[in-house]
Amino acid sequence: MKNGMKVIVWPDHDIPNVALYNWFHVGSRNERPGITGLSHFFEHMMFNGSKHYPSGEFDRVMERNGGSSNAFTTEDVTAYQDWFPKGILELVFRLEADRIQSLSFDPKMVESEREVVYSERRTSIDNENASLLDEQVQAAAFVAHPYHNPVIGWPSDIERWTIDDLRSYYQIFYAPNNATMIVVGDVTPQEVFAMAERYLEPIPAQPAPPKVTTQEPPQLGERRVSLRKFGQTPLLDVAFHTGAANDTQAEARDLLLTILAGGESSRLYRRLVDHDRLAVDVSAYVNPEGFDPGLLKIFVTVAPDKTAEAAEAALVDELAKLGRSGPTAAELTKAKNVELSGYWHGLQAINSKAAALGTYEVFRGGWRNLFTAPERYGRVSARQVQALAKTLFDPKNRTVGVLVPERAEASK
Amino acid sequence: MRLALGLVALVLVLPADAAALELPASREVRLPNGALVILAEKHDVPMIAVRGFLRGGSVADPPGKEGVANLTASLLRKGAGKRTAEEIAALVEGLGASLDTGGGLEASYAVGEFMARDQNTMLDVIADLLRRPTFPEKEFEKLRDQSIDAITSAKDDPQEVIGGYAAAFFFGPHPYARPSDGDERTLKGLTREDVVAYYRANYGGDRLILTLVGDFDLPAMEAKVKTRFGHWAKAGAPLAAIPAVSRPRGHRVLLVDKPDATQTYFWIGSLGVTRRDPERVPLDIANTAFGGHYTSILNTALRIQGGLTYGARWQAPRYTQAGTVAIYSYTKTETTGKAVDLALETLAKARRAGLDSAAVASARSYITGQFPTRFETESQVASALVDLAYYGFDREELTGYAGRIAAARPDAIAQVVQRVYPPPEDLTFVFVGNASKIRSVVKRYGRVTEVKISEPLLSALGREVR
Repeated sequence: MKNGMKVIVWPDHDIPNVALYNWFHVGSRNERPGITGLSHFFEHMMFNGSKHYPSGEFDRVMERNGGSSNAFTTEDVTAYQDWFPKGILELVFRLEADRIQSLSFDPKMVESEREVVYSERRTSIDNENASLLDEQVQAAAFVAHPYHNPVIGWPSDIERWTIDDLRSYYQIFYAPNNATMIVVGDVTPQEVFAMAERYLEPIPAQPAPPKVTTQEPPQLGERRVSLRKFGQTPLLDVAFHTGAANDTQAEARDLLLTILAGGESSRLYRRLVDHDRLAVDVSAYVNPEGFDPGLLKIFVTVAPDKTAEAAEAALVDELAKLGRSGPTAAELTKAKNVELSGYWHGLQAINSKAAALGTYEVFRGGWRNLFTAPERYGRVSARQVQALAKTLFDPKNRTVGVLVPERAEASK
Repeated sequence: MRLALGLVALVLVLPADAAALELPASREVRLPNGALVILAEKHDVPMIAVRGFLRGGSVADPPGKEGVANLTASLLRKGAGKRTAEEIAALVEGLGASLDTGGGLEASYAVGEFMARDQNTMLDVIADLLRRPTFPEKEFEKLRDQSIDAITSAKDDPQEVIGGYAAAFFFGPHPYARPSDGDERTLKGLTREDVVAYYRANYGGDRLILTLVGDFDLPAMEAKVKTRFGHWAKAGAPLAAIPAVSRPRGHRVLLVDKPDATQTYFWIGSLGVTRRDPERVPLDIANTAFGGHYTSILNTALRIQGGLTYGARWQAPRYTQAGTVAIYSYTKTETTGKAVDLALETLAKARRAGLDSAAVASARSYITGQFPTRFETESQVASALVDLAYYGFDREELTGYAGRIAAARPDAIAQVVQRVYPPPEDLTFVFVGNASKIRSVVKRYGRVTEVKISEPLLSALGREVR
């Protein structure tokens, strides 16, 4: 549109419903000390009142008309999601336009929502050992880049954000030229574009938000963090710096993750859980996976009577093996089949289609790349996966976090 | 995330206004051994979803052997036919397929999804798993020990465990009290012979409901399924009837001490209704209005207006016999009493004054508007079909649901609230939190049973031997 906002429509008439994702290119990556967590807090405030829909009305109107909504914030983006029957398409555009252009900032709502967000932090981080450890590992792995900060924010910042912080955030980041809207479902492109032109296009563009220019310097040696707190099982979280979401090695990296920890036939499951019986579970993923280089993380829930040290030794051994000899043909075929079935799986529902299309548009070079994904994954060679493993799993590039459980007596 | 959707435990809240739901045409075949096969073609993507239910589940665990149904089902993947555990995992995952097995409360299950091109191989594997498990001793010991570790490890997240404490405490001697996973001590006592005995008694063609939905030719698939499951003998034991449950009277309080907790997780509940309750449609509306969506009465009170929590939900699982109805939420340690009092007042008011008509109207629209999204994928349709069959419903239960939601009368909704929502004097309270800080608060609600989170659940509640 003329104001720089992009709207992408994918008609799917299987059910009389619509999934809408509106991605704003703002996340904790855009924050600085003192306002960490503000992007996520802002996400909450987007539901707390705008000019024509006072506090609470967004959700009330949405739900009493058969719709539902949610949102999520990551290091890189804040995405607003609406799922609704096709009959209320225009209403949803009115709701969205109103909060994008005339959000209210009611001091009472700010205080009440601050408590809600603190409860969210207590639930998802403070009372969940795995997340608490991962927060520390990510902070240790990034010393310069804002991926250092947790999306939910440091507790002291949650306590101190001001209404002015919110206002200036709105001004800078909630501009149509900083948004990408995906609409999938029982609609035609014509009717969606007409709505967008009527309700969204009049919202004026704003100056582009400041770029995030800080780059993480190369890591020159292993970093270690440890947590001692009450718990039942030791935890091990190992992170390696890797490229951004649209890295040229992104497909090889996804296959590598499957080879490492995808299911009970994966290398790490076989070794740590099945053979050596050092772990209850193991997983591998890339996070953050966004605009800037992120981390490949391997998370191990250690067996209660084993140590994180033993699990770490076995893990390091397996990673080195993969770098030395590469994956077998069967492993590579498996990983490619997992990608392919996952691809088809994701194309079954309007919600997952909207999520996938948005992810490709925002992070992986454009929405068209979604439709060529199977071929791209199919072209990855064993040699490529091996080379990637060898580079990534350099011990100098490693940040290791362990949680050592203490019993009640010790933690009092 | 603004909403923790995972907390919604309302059983299948369905649709409302617009078009009737369209489900893919399906064919039900009863095999001579009693197995029920349900097939539906769906050609959107080259995939097939499978759901196999075996009546039984952990309600058929012998007392003192809690967890054996789940362990048995999980062990199906650890050796079957001519394949070892490793070979099964390599074969299934090598095809990019998923295939999970486990034991639920009232049924053991096999759940999977695979590419259509692999259907013959996957059907062979599924038939091997269900009909020809080998239960290798080594795999038995390993999985038993791993399951014990997993139970211990889950205790680091109160959200994962509070439901198990609530069921065990609430249902007392009834089989619905049994945690499907068992606990550390009951699992430790299990032997391979227990698993074999459970399998012999509870696995067989007469217990099976098998559903396949996806990109296949229906007559050809019917033949393939008949070949593989038509001659499966009946289970060794008759299916035990599940006794009815009665509502416990008075207040009871369980406090689970997790000394590092900075917030208190609470469950306040009582007896609910059965899956086939005749008033289930007005009850779905009431439950959604009271605590089944974001702007519900309960979430409005505790979160939106109270700022006391990230989320508050009304949970209403229903089984063959009555399940529970309960408020589930959490709040920081310091506001435990305040949040619980507000939750109790909100519940009492719903009974005293009835549900606000705007909330009821919103719930009707919400249910209807969201309903179609529950039946989009092959896996969703397969789950819905197997669930209907398990509880003895036909497809009209779903296809006619929107119409019934629209037609439910306000007085029927008011009456079902009076009947099902518990009176203030009959409530069970379960808290997971820092006991040293909330002990004096929770004892206001009744006589307290206090346990340590590190103890095995059933032993802690004095239930290890019935």
